[in-house]
Amino acid sequence: MIWHKIKVGFHRLGSPPVFYRLCQVVAPWLWAGAAIFAAFGLYKALFVVPPDYQQSDSFRILYVHVPAAWQAMAGYLVMSILAIIALVWRIRTTEIMAMMGAPIGAAFTVICLATGSIWGRPMWGTWWAWDARLTSMLVLLFVYLGIMGLYAAFEDKRKGARVACILILVGLVNIPIIHFSVEWWTTLHQGSTINFFGESSMDPSMMAPLLWMVIATKLMFGAALLDRSRNELVEQDRRKGWVRAKLGISA
Amino acid sequence: MIPEFEYAPYVWTSYGIFAMIMVWQVVQPIVKRRRLVTELREEQALEKGDYADDT
Repeated sequence: MIWHKIKVGFHRLGSPPVFYRLCQVVAPWLWAGAAIFAAFGLYKALFVVPPDYQQSDSFRILYVHVPAAWQAMAGYLVMSILAIIALVWRIRTTEIMAMMGAPIGAAFTVICLATGSIWGRPMWGTWWAWDARLTSMLVLLFVYLGIMGLYAAFEDKRKGARVACILILVGLVNIPIIHFSVEWWTTLHQGSTINFFGESSMDPSMMAPLLWMVIATKLMFGAALLDRSRNELVEQDRRKGWVRAKLGISA
Repeated sequence: MIPEFEYAPYVWTSYGIFAMIMVWQVVQPIVKRRRLVTELREEQALEKGDYADDT
């Protein structure tokens, strides 16, 4: 009985008006949650946590760099799952969500690359190095931009989304390369500092703001994804009656 | 009270980039939605033959 209700509820999300309503209701709560978590995280990162004994205050950059890097990769995984659902079941709202994840993922990748570069200048003595981690992250940015460009290149949005979904799945190969690059190759970028299933090399006193910021970026991604998907749905269905009714425009 | 950090320009630039891009993530959908609503209202006016006299 409960399973049936879940199944029916899930199928109803394929209906554009229901999906629109869901985005409208959920997105503000996600933004509010993101703001609260980010406020706590930023306060602790900037005012509470002591300087690192080697890197001094420059280590504070990791509180925006690491959550952005993780979200850039996690966002891609979310897009890949949505792309599989879109390709197999041809659910239009899922196609839209898969496409709208790309600019948000690209934004997090830009944050990751820019803040990493800024941190690298005082710590490594260079803004950039063609090391495996940095290069594979740059490739991720190009994949995101490629998905956005491919989707925009098609006049038929559904056809564009299907082709871009295939590109998403092709680009998925880059995610394990990013993650394991520091183990597979000798890189300037350090290995994993934080280990959720073992001992982290980061002091526990420095961990809390990172967790707050990680949760904040996850909520930001979700909120931005729903907001952009809602707009894209309206753009695609602009001639349909339900859009005009929702926006208070009489048909 | 702004804390005084060692490497302050690097730290604040990084947080500034993060803040700017996040604010853009909030603002962009709002701006786009307003533009869409304006376009739809204009389309509706044209369909009804309600042309604005802008001469």
